[in-house]
Amino acid sequence: MIGFVIRRLAVAVLVTLGIALVTFLLLHILSPSPVYAVLGAKAEPAAVKAWNLQHGYDRPVLAQFLTYIGNIIHGDFGYSYKLSQSVTALFREHSGRSAYLSGSALVLSLLIALPLGIAQAVRRNSIGDYTVTSLNFILYSMPSFFLGLILIQFLALDWGVFPPVVSDQITTVWGAFTHPLQLTLPIVTLAAINVASFSRYMRSSALDNLAQDYIRLARAKGLSQRAVLTRHLLRNACLPMITLVGLSIPYLLAGNLLIEVLFNYSGIGLLFYTALGNLDYNVLLAYVIAGGILTVLGNLIADVAVAVADPRIRLG
Amino acid sequence: MPPALEVTDLSTHIKLSRAVVQAVGNVDLRIDEGETLGLVGESGCGKSMLGLSILGLLPNGGRIVGGSIKAGGRELVGLPERELRRIRGNEVAMIFQDSLSSLNPTKTIGEQVSEPVRLHRGASRREALERALEVLELVGLPQPRERLRDYPHQLSGGLRQRVMIAIALSCEPKVLIADEPTTALDVTIQAQILSVLDGLRERLGMATLLVTHDMGVVAGRTSRINVMYAGRLVETAPTERLFSAMRHPYTQALLASIPRLESDNTRALVSIPGIPPDLTKPPSGCRFASRCPRATRQCAEQEPPLSGDDPSHRFACWHPVDGPEIRTPTIAVRERSAAALRAASSTNGHHLLEVVDAVREYPVTAGTLMRRRVNSVKAVSGVSIHLDVGETLGLVGESGCGKTTLGKMIVGVEKPDAGRILLNGAEVFRLRGRSLRRVRRDLQMMFQDPYASLDPRMRVQAILREPLVIQDVGSRRDQDRRVRGLLDEVGLPANALERYPHEFSGGQRQRIALARAVILEPKVMVADEPVSALDVSIRSQVLNLMKRLQAEHGMASIVISHDLAVVKYLSDRIGVMYLGKLVEIGTGDQIYRTPAHPYTEALIRTIPLPDPVAERSKSDVGIRGELPSPVNPPSGCRFRTRCPRAQSRCSEEEPLLRPFGHGHMAACHFPLQPPAEGNGAGGAVAAAPDVSGAAEAAT
Repeated sequence: MIGFVIRRLAVAVLVTLGIALVTFLLLHILSPSPVYAVLGAKAEPAAVKAWNLQHGYDRPVLAQFLTYIGNIIHGDFGYSYKLSQSVTALFREHSGRSAYLSGSALVLSLLIALPLGIAQAVRRNSIGDYTVTSLNFILYSMPSFFLGLILIQFLALDWGVFPPVVSDQITTVWGAFTHPLQLTLPIVTLAAINVASFSRYMRSSALDNLAQDYIRLARAKGLSQRAVLTRHLLRNACLPMITLVGLSIPYLLAGNLLIEVLFNYSGIGLLFYTALGNLDYNVLLAYVIAGGILTVLGNLIADVAVAVADPRIRLG
Repeated sequence: MPPALEVTDLSTHIKLSRAVVQAVGNVDLRIDEGETLGLVGESGCGKSMLGLSILGLLPNGGRIVGGSIKAGGRELVGLPERELRRIRGNEVAMIFQDSLSSLNPTKTIGEQVSEPVRLHRGASRREALERALEVLELVGLPQPRERLRDYPHQLSGGLRQRVMIAIALSCEPKVLIADEPTTALDVTIQAQILSVLDGLRERLGMATLLVTHDMGVVAGRTSRINVMYAGRLVETAPTERLFSAMRHPYTQALLASIPRLESDNTRALVSIPGIPPDLTKPPSGCRFASRCPRATRQCAEQEPPLSGDDPSHRFACWHPVDGPEIRTPTIAVRERSAAALRAASSTNGHHLLEVVDAVREYPVTAGTLMRRRVNSVKAVSGVSIHLDVGETLGLVGESGCGKTTLGKMIVGVEKPDAGRILLNGAEVFRLRGRSLRRVRRDLQMMFQDPYASLDPRMRVQAILREPLVIQDVGSRRDQDRRVRGLLDEVGLPANALERYPHEFSGGQRQRIALARAVILEPKVMVADEPVSALDVSIRSQVLNLMKRLQAEHGMASIVISHDLAVVKYLSDRIGVMYLGKLVEIGTGDQIYRTPAHPYTEALIRTIPLPDPVAERSKSDVGIRGELPSPVNPPSGCRFRTRCPRAQSRCSEEEPLLRPFGHGHMAACHFPLQPPAEGNGAGGAVAAAPDVSGAAEAAT
């Protein structure tokens, strides 16, 4: 087990390095240096040259990359010339808020999707099952910002239950926690999309397991339906969900991007969005690499979690 | 005292989206305390649905539409779910066929066995575990205390089945329903499990309903047998009476269609034509009428009632038979093809097929950073066999003995790690390109599962033509003619060409698979468990067909099966394999009548015979213990850990194949009969040089 984790970690580090390299090169092709973003598009060639020399952007790409990686290892993701702060500090400030949004949405969607999927599987092909499946389908095919806009229109503008955008005063996770109404709409929007995809998988996984003989044996033991579902079905049906949730972690980040912009919630997504607009070189780079790391980590965590939860994998 | 279980006039229907399956119709049965009742029938006859009806565990859409079920005098039909739950697992328990999918993969054995005790007895976790330990001991699970924390996948099939029995017995039920309890197991393990069930019935006085398709399983273990066909009870009689004096033509044909070890294999098996009726639209008269040789108009119009002069022996037939009929025509060879005649005349000095010292191992890897090979699964460890033109060699052994791997190496889909495979003296794995493709034409394979081995998106025409296209044989018109000719030979109508595999029954699909394997007129056909997935009445149709095609096409074949009777019926010679080794080889009669290896002898003894007298006279269960791991096979003789004759020499020195006269060879230090002196008997000379050479190389 420990060997397995170590081996996977080694692979994860290599993959992350690869992602960093490719991102770095792509951005370099796009714009070899952030100089125009800093000095303005009409900067004097001499000034540009001097700035590049001063900040090391005149060196060969690979040398720049190695320096960059070296800095990352020391926790330095460079400097945002637009926001006049180090990227590390920016991320530290924004990532907590994003994590709170994604985390709550993830937990909420699992709390809904798991029982919903099992209920659908138990009452398969009933009117209820068809209704939920259709609703899921609509939600699933709807872009998150569109769903967000609908919710804002009805729940915020028409009925005024929730604020349409997150107030600027919510700057910390604690702040969000103490003002639950503020973040309700973004969390619900993000969760709804996830419920749609999770419950679909949960339904089919539960169906697979319901068809297994061990469910029949559990009933033959005299267990009630509820006990059969909670004691025998739930854990086995959730095994494939672990992988799915692990893989969806980077999507949550991407989902955040749109939702944060829509609700003007100052997380990493909004930070990236702003950086895109004004070519904030190091922020863009850090965001993409962070996405890569999250993907690799999500995979790793899912694999380890599956091994922990499934004795057939853990004990070979 | 009321019977332990009494079912009267029970009917169960299953509602599908467009039709209603009348799965069980007007069935009666009665089991007294301490009695075992056999319920026999083919798949789809409603026997499992009957078992599930008793426990109220019918699948979605299933419903009892009439009749009564009484357990210990108490009516179960119409009982509220809450009350039924108190009976399930407590008074009436059930075990299922597949022990791997019947146990929860993520719960420990201890949790699963103790669960019913906690539920029904209100025992604490600790008390329930103590009880679990007790029952696990009772069912003969070795080292039960250590197993409590194991998960199902860590146990072998036989041990898992013992665990499932332990779960059923944990609350000392009065009635046990065993639905195909040994079908997924090897014969040696099957014998062990059946004897465990038998012993428990005696000790606990349970009433047991033994549901199975295997007449051999019920022969020695039941006092009465009910035979079901297409949802109906067709005959019920005391066990001995049913076997010796059955009255229903279906019972008679079912028994006669089973290949038997002692019978002459030049005679055809009795086969029941056609397939069982569709139970969404059951025929109005006798349900067996369309397949029955004695059927008249009355049979088609009027359903016969279950009756008889003797109340203990009742049957549902207008024109009953009188006991088993011995009717065994010889195999009718229609016409030997030109290829067959050509093949028979061309013997150029060496054997058609030779396998010399074949070895195949699958690596087992481990390691923290670098995966490295730490050991290997020894699937096939130095096996040598040969096959002559037109000959059929059977390979028999339990699962994990390497017979399938050997078959795959012979047709060239699996490469041996060492050793050679020669076809007509040319080494198959040295060939490249065109000549390799040419050689593949001569080596064809037929697979076990007719549902998985045919491409579901190809029409039969395309399936059968594909080998000809790949091998570029003849013009399009020739190919079509050949496909149509062969389809007729395997007994399928011409309109089958335009249909897809899912439109056919299992038996018909296996005919298509057989046609696909022989369409290239191969020199050698390997058939891997060709009839294991089929029902008994369909099985004999396919076996007869295979036998006829072998003769007509002059193919040499290798038939692989766990079923010695099937192998003996099809083969001239039989090789017995155990844990990657060939332990004995000889003609069917040599192997069956004068086995030299203790494993062969035990294997024959454990096969359940469809003969109650012979079954009851068996004194022991045959082979004790489990198959050792093929990763670390025992030193010396691999069978020694389970052998009653084993001595210290067996662990020190590997026995070589020795001649026992007339081509009969066995690898044992302490054989059941003295080996032939020197190279005495004539037949042994031909086989001796390569085989003994192989054995030397293996040591």
